[in-house]
Amino acid sequence: MTSAAPTSTPVTAPGHEEAARATPSLARRTLDVFTGNKLALTGVVLLALLLLFSYVGPLLYDTEQTHTDLSRANLSPGTEGHLLGTTDLGYDMVGRLMVAGQTSLEIGLAAGLLATLFGTVYGAVSGYFGGWVDAALMRITDAALAIPAMFLLVVVAAIITPSKGVLILVIAAVAWLSPARLVRGEALSLRNREYVQAMRMMGGGGARAVFKHIVPNAIGTVIVNCTFQIADAILYVSYLAFLGLSIPPPSADWGSMLSAGITYTQNGYWWLIFPPGIAIVLVVAAFNFIGDGLRDAFEVRLRK
Amino acid sequence: MTGFLVKRFLQALVVLFLVSIIVFVLLHMLPGGPARAILGPKGTPQQITDFNHQQGYDRSLPTQYFMYLKRLFTGDLGDSYKLNSPVFELLKQRLPKTLLLTVLSTVLAVVIAIPLGLLQAVRRGKASDYALTGLAFLLYATPVFFLGLVMIILFAQVLPVLPAEAPQGESVGELLSEFSGLVLPVVTMAFGIVAMFSRYMRSAVLDNLTEDYVRTAMAKGQSNRRIMVRHVLRNALIPLATLLGLYLPTLFSGALVVESMFNYPGMGLLFWNAAQGSDFPVLLGVTLVVGIATVIGSLLTDVLYAVLDPRIRSVA
Amino acid sequence: MTGDAGDGKGTAAEAKDHPDMTEPQLDMTEPQVTDARPGAPGPLLSIEGLHVDIASRDRTVHALDGVSLDLAPGEALGIVGESGCGKTMTALSVLGLLPPGGRVTGGRILFDGEDLATASAPTLQNVRGNTVGMVFQDPLTSLNPTMPIGAQVAEPLLLHRADLGRKEAWARAHDMLRLVGMPQPAERMKAYPHQLSGGMRQRVAIAMALVCEPKLLIADEPTTALDVTTQHQILELIDSLRATLGMAMILVTHDLGVIANRVDRVAVMYAGRVAEQAPVRALFARPRHRYTEALFAALPERAAERGTELHTILGLPPSLTTRPTGCRFAPRCAFATDACREREPDLAADAELGAGADAGLGAEAGAAHRFACFHPVPYGDAPAEEVVTPPPAAATEPGGVLLRLDALTKEFPLPGGPFGRRRGTVSAVGGVSLTVRRGETYGMVGESGCGKTTLGRIVAGLEEPTAGTVRFDGRDLAGLTRAERRAHRRRIQLMFQDSTAAMDPRMRVGEILREPLVIQGVGSRADRERRTAELLDAVGLPRGAVHRYPHEFSGGQRQRLGLARALTLSPDLVVADEPVSALDVSVQAQILNLMRELQREHGLTYLFISHDLAVIRHLADTVGVMYLGKLVESGPAERVYASPLHPYTRGLLDTVNVPDPAAASAADRAPLSGETPSASRPPSGCRFRTRCPLAQEVCATTEPPVTTPSGEGHQVACHFPLTASRLTSVV
Repeated sequence: MTSAAPTSTPVTAPGHEEAARATPSLARRTLDVFTGNKLALTGVVLLALLLLFSYVGPLLYDTEQTHTDLSRANLSPGTEGHLLGTTDLGYDMVGRLMVAGQTSLEIGLAAGLLATLFGTVYGAVSGYFGGWVDAALMRITDAALAIPAMFLLVVVAAIITPSKGVLILVIAAVAWLSPARLVRGEALSLRNREYVQAMRMMGGGGARAVFKHIVPNAIGTVIVNCTFQIADAILYVSYLAFLGLSIPPPSADWGSMLSAGITYTQNGYWWLIFPPGIAIVLVVAAFNFIGDGLRDAFEVRLRK
Repeated sequence: MTGFLVKRFLQALVVLFLVSIIVFVLLHMLPGGPARAILGPKGTPQQITDFNHQQGYDRSLPTQYFMYLKRLFTGDLGDSYKLNSPVFELLKQRLPKTLLLTVLSTVLAVVIAIPLGLLQAVRRGKASDYALTGLAFLLYATPVFFLGLVMIILFAQVLPVLPAEAPQGESVGELLSEFSGLVLPVVTMAFGIVAMFSRYMRSAVLDNLTEDYVRTAMAKGQSNRRIMVRHVLRNALIPLATLLGLYLPTLFSGALVVESMFNYPGMGLLFWNAAQGSDFPVLLGVTLVVGIATVIGSLLTDVLYAVLDPRIRSVA
Repeated sequence: MTGDAGDGKGTAAEAKDHPDMTEPQLDMTEPQVTDARPGAPGPLLSIEGLHVDIASRDRTVHALDGVSLDLAPGEALGIVGESGCGKTMTALSVLGLLPPGGRVTGGRILFDGEDLATASAPTLQNVRGNTVGMVFQDPLTSLNPTMPIGAQVAEPLLLHRADLGRKEAWARAHDMLRLVGMPQPAERMKAYPHQLSGGMRQRVAIAMALVCEPKLLIADEPTTALDVTTQHQILELIDSLRATLGMAMILVTHDLGVIANRVDRVAVMYAGRVAEQAPVRALFARPRHRYTEALFAALPERAAERGTELHTILGLPPSLTTRPTGCRFAPRCAFATDACREREPDLAADAELGAGADAGLGAEAGAAHRFACFHPVPYGDAPAEEVVTPPPAAATEPGGVLLRLDALTKEFPLPGGPFGRRRGTVSAVGGVSLTVRRGETYGMVGESGCGKTTLGRIVAGLEEPTAGTVRFDGRDLAGLTRAERRAHRRRIQLMFQDSTAAMDPRMRVGEILREPLVIQGVGSRADRERRTAELLDAVGLPRGAVHRYPHEFSGGQRQRLGLARALTLSPDLVVADEPVSALDVSVQAQILNLMRELQREHGLTYLFISHDLAVIRHLADTVGVMYLGKLVESGPAERVYASPLHPYTRGLLDTVNVPDPAAASAADRAPLSGETPSASRPPSGCRFRTRCPLAQEVCATTEPPVTTPSGEGHQVACHFPLTASRLTSVV
């Protein structure tokens, strides 16, 4: 086996590169393609920066984020050391963005992961068993998909008072449908692959088929979809906030900050609108860039 | 084709039935149950008990569901306790307006997305493809209401050329007569969906370009432009019909946000106002109607697909 | 524009009315064509030193490295070679149709005096479909699925014959479809590709390529995706159209049988270069290049007799990412010397022949036979005798019955219909009875859709039969308990056609080979590793392979892995479903030899399923012939091939393309006509009757009983078996 080029130093010599490419490992090639995708790298950098901002930021930049101070409300950027001014309740905008970022990211990640997990199991069961089980399970997803997510979320949120946990559950409850359908499709085709048949020839059973062959081969799809789910979950949080259904203050997320800012559109308080809006765009785009890069990388795996 | 259509139609019926069950379950999840939902927060306990007995809400759930279905078929969706009007009447008035907004913005989005996706596919891997792909993702990542806000600030405040509020006409015709007011809502909603359509077009065109029949078309001596128009575009566009059906729920969700944003007098605004005021009959009525509209819409797009694609249209 | 020069002289309609009219197309002036051979007619196409690079994400392949070819007007040139040799790239580059990343980096492609390699897009477009028509391999994917075939056939006319109206173009497309033998062309004009059979689709593709009456037809593996009988019909059609329209042809194929019978001249390609070029009879009679010689020797048809070892070519063709130094075949050539490894031989005329080594042929023949080899095959030797190795010790005599199928039936429901309502069934296997004896190779042969694969899958336990019984080693498989069935799995293993699909891409080879042992709970970890190493040794792969993934191996190596995995549990019976049909001839020979060797060593029994009559003949002791779900004939291989009893077997043997130009033209051959009917509505009585030349009324009413008219052991299901010994097969 050829030894891979030392990873600590970048490969420079062309001959070296050729040798390393003779039999590149699958993981290595996947990584190569991913890092060769500029948008994907941008996504990783963006996400890292936003994570640092939200979690390390408050340690370096301490602000009052629990008690309101209406006397200092809506200060414009730059006044009295408030880099981005203050909110309508007098919180420092930058500090507020950090705290809100934590909520948005946590709800997004938790809801996205939960939806993916449940959807994957549901889809795998539906696809692997096929027949009537599949038909029944898929009609249920069809029906759930037929009611637009936003409408369902609003009704549910109108019935239950939102909290972080409730939001995660509610968003996951509408978001699992897409991974379920996707994994079901994969499972349907994977169970007929010749290597699964070959395994049955050897006397292997259903559990081995699912866990040794189907799931590992569908994992690319699942991971890619998971990043998109997280992005969508963060968007859902902001939509719910816009529709007036968010976790009540003093906690905040970027969506609720943005919808609070909308009230002041006429007053020209731009700093209440653009920072949270751009933060949402960046974090959602970052996850999408990463997902797209991963999809390319996994496709390369399957191609050769 | 008939086999496919019959199967698809029966599936739609099953889905419709399940949608009604979901809404029925939501009705029973309401705080205080259906009685509270229909009598409103002012109903006394006595009134509630009377109502429950009168309406059969003290009977078994299957019976209740059957009665619920029966009411649905007579168009009885209850009365709004904020607007003093039957929900059915409200919907009859609002639904066409929402459809107008949805259709206009979808058409606009498709009209933008097709050339955009084609361009990206043709320039694949070049700087312009990267730029447009990046832009499409940014657009996709932008919440529709933030996009609308930016639009309002740009075109109603900084450059006051368009009204920030939608026209308030009673009918579709009246809405259309005040066209300038429609521009911002339609464009905002279209921008919200153009990203996913152009992504689809890009990958569909790229997939089709690798097909053998494109090579055959080249071997006949056609120009690249002709191949694109006569062969690739056609084959890439046919599945767009199904995609539209798949994205119907997303479209309606978008309409909900855009209507609330621009005060557009459609079903979404009705729904949003109902959510603010806990007007449950309206909330559930709209949810049900939107669900039915989605099922029928995706059935229609599948029929369209079957008509467009000869492989389904005429199975040998 | 040169491309329009032929206009107005002959139209499709005229050509149809006067099939002999070939003059207008041929009578072309050839301006500015430089020709190396004075006195010879100017070539229609002249490829000179063509270089093509294909760049992909991480490497560049020098696919063509100095290819030179000539083609005279009206001439048929065959380009033959194994996968990756550059034959298809040569064909594609003529019309500038190279795949993405492909680029002509040097050389010229002179067609009618114009260099197509550097031609502008409009010039190329004017040649494509107009003066040069092209037919591709897969007729289904090559046609636009959403366009009626009439419109697709008329398209080149609308592009290149501006003077034709839409109506007229439509009328000519109709005539063209009739000319290619499309039944009811008027109705079929509105049909879509998916509504036609594979053979009919290829006819449409041919009609499309010829509708503008080109001077040159390029056919890239036009029959590879088709069944033997359809293949024959399509090749016949191309032949007759070529005569009618008087056009030149380049036929690209990997199939030496196809090339032997259909062209005037052959170019053999290897690793991006032309190795040898000669008139077809001269090439098959006396190959001069060592590669050509080895290639012919690897053919199962050329093996001296059944059961002998096939000649193989060791190793693999070189990677073309770097230009090899010296002769490209040298690393695999038994005759290579240092000179071969240092210098690359040029393609040169046969000096020996030119000097009059052969009295019957003169200098002209010598010039026509060109090859690039320092140590050519000497004259006087019959090549087959030189390379065939002596037959090994006779295979062990077959023992008792291992597998017995009794009236085995399998029906699949036709898809469609809501709520799983059945709309009818496809009769895949319609009552097959046979016995396979221990230690023998049972070869099951038939065209696609005849049910041979389904039969194999039932035997392997992947499908449940609808009716009938499978008895293995005396026990009825239907009677086994769950646990017994699981244990029984060890005794029958399946070898797949496509070992890429048959191996989990996420597993390393070690894990793939150990999986059967893990599932069956055999041995300790160390035992399993030892067993894996043994298997790799047995199939001739390095032990280090365990750390690698399947995609890192070549097709032949993967098939070796497939065989290794099938043998992991030491089965009694291996069902091999088309195990070599995806492989090149030289690699195919390696796998066939390996299978034979392992059979001898381990006392294996094979149920070998293939569409390839030559492969079956080479390997099988007993042969079964299936048609539309029925076993129509079975018996000892030599008897079935020498004196077939069923008209279908006979037709199949007459249809197959023999890689020998001399044998092909035998007048008494009666190839099969027509197409196989749908298995969802098989014909009543004898299923073959709709295509049978001997069919009578009784065939439609009564299913033929199984008889043995030529003695015990040779069974046939036919009312009128061919008992007379008047028939001798040429295969």
